[in-house]
Amino acid sequence: MHIASKFLAPEVWGTMGAVSGLALGGALSMARRKMDDRNVPLMGVMGAFVFAAQMVNFPILAGTSGHLGGGFLLGVLLGPSLGIIVMTSVLVVQALVFQDGGVEALGANIFVMGVVPSLLGGAVRSLWRRPGWIAYAATFAGAVVGVLAGATLVILFLDWSGTLPQSVSLVQALGVMDSFHLFIGLVEGGITVAVVRFVLEARREAVFGAVPATSAAEGKA
Amino acid sequence: MSAYNRNTLLVGIAIVLLIGGVGSYFASGDPDGLEKTQEELGADQPIHEGVESPPSVFDGYGLKGLGASFWSNAVAGVVGSLLVLGILLVVARILKRRLPQQGSDRT
Repeated sequence: MHIASKFLAPEVWGTMGAVSGLALGGALSMARRKMDDRNVPLMGVMGAFVFAAQMVNFPILAGTSGHLGGGFLLGVLLGPSLGIIVMTSVLVVQALVFQDGGVEALGANIFVMGVVPSLLGGAVRSLWRRPGWIAYAATFAGAVVGVLAGATLVILFLDWSGTLPQSVSLVQALGVMDSFHLFIGLVEGGITVAVVRFVLEARREAVFGAVPATSAAEGKA
Repeated sequence: MSAYNRNTLLVGIAIVLLIGGVGSYFASGDPDGLEKTQEELGADQPIHEGVESPPSVFDGYGLKGLGASFWSNAVAGVVGSLLVLGILLVVARILKRRLPQQGSDRT
């Protein structure tokens, strides 16, 4: 879902650059206050995971593929502020080193794939302190909503830039974009739930901090 | 670094490199949802050239000139993942350094 620069008008990428810049600034100052030692490796590993997983396009319908976005997943496991910071790093590397997503379009792409889904993911994060079916359902549904919200925003940015063809109405464009992304979103939801569950089983303390004293203390090497 | 953190890193890196270095070779080459939408709508109406991406040894997710071979893709996956990891470890270190007052478990 990376937008190429050539489809965005200067006022669009400029505005979104400013919006995402502000969001990133806010995220950095909030993260500074909450950083825990155990967040660090998980934060790095999750960023690397999102980068790697985004390379694995899975087929959906007729000659179309999709890949994980990951912003929602990061919001759940790291919280919204670290989620935004991690997603920004992934998108910057993709744009600067792998020509995936335009350089001017970075702000728009960070907003669509980072800020919005990470905030949504952050909203369901606390449900996982006591996992039950509500946590699973909210995470799956939230991830789908995150993808659809992103897809909708992309079309709105293209419309605002005047790069949708004149023969198509905004509603038609949204219909095509969102129907592809509904399928992509369902896969995103499934992967998100599976990864959240896996990480919580393996590294609960890295996600939610210390657990009650009975669990094995980590050796200080 | 505690054993807990070291294990998180080592196991995490192993999983990620397997996905980025090997799994990504089997990725679908079909256009993604946005590209397909633009194809369907005939939305290929670029309005300007856009700033050129900075020079890179990679051409998309593969080494320049090597195309979509297994190794070229694997190098892209491994280098990209480790680059993101490295950047984040540096960012995390800076974020932690700026708050000297609480929980000084720095070594």
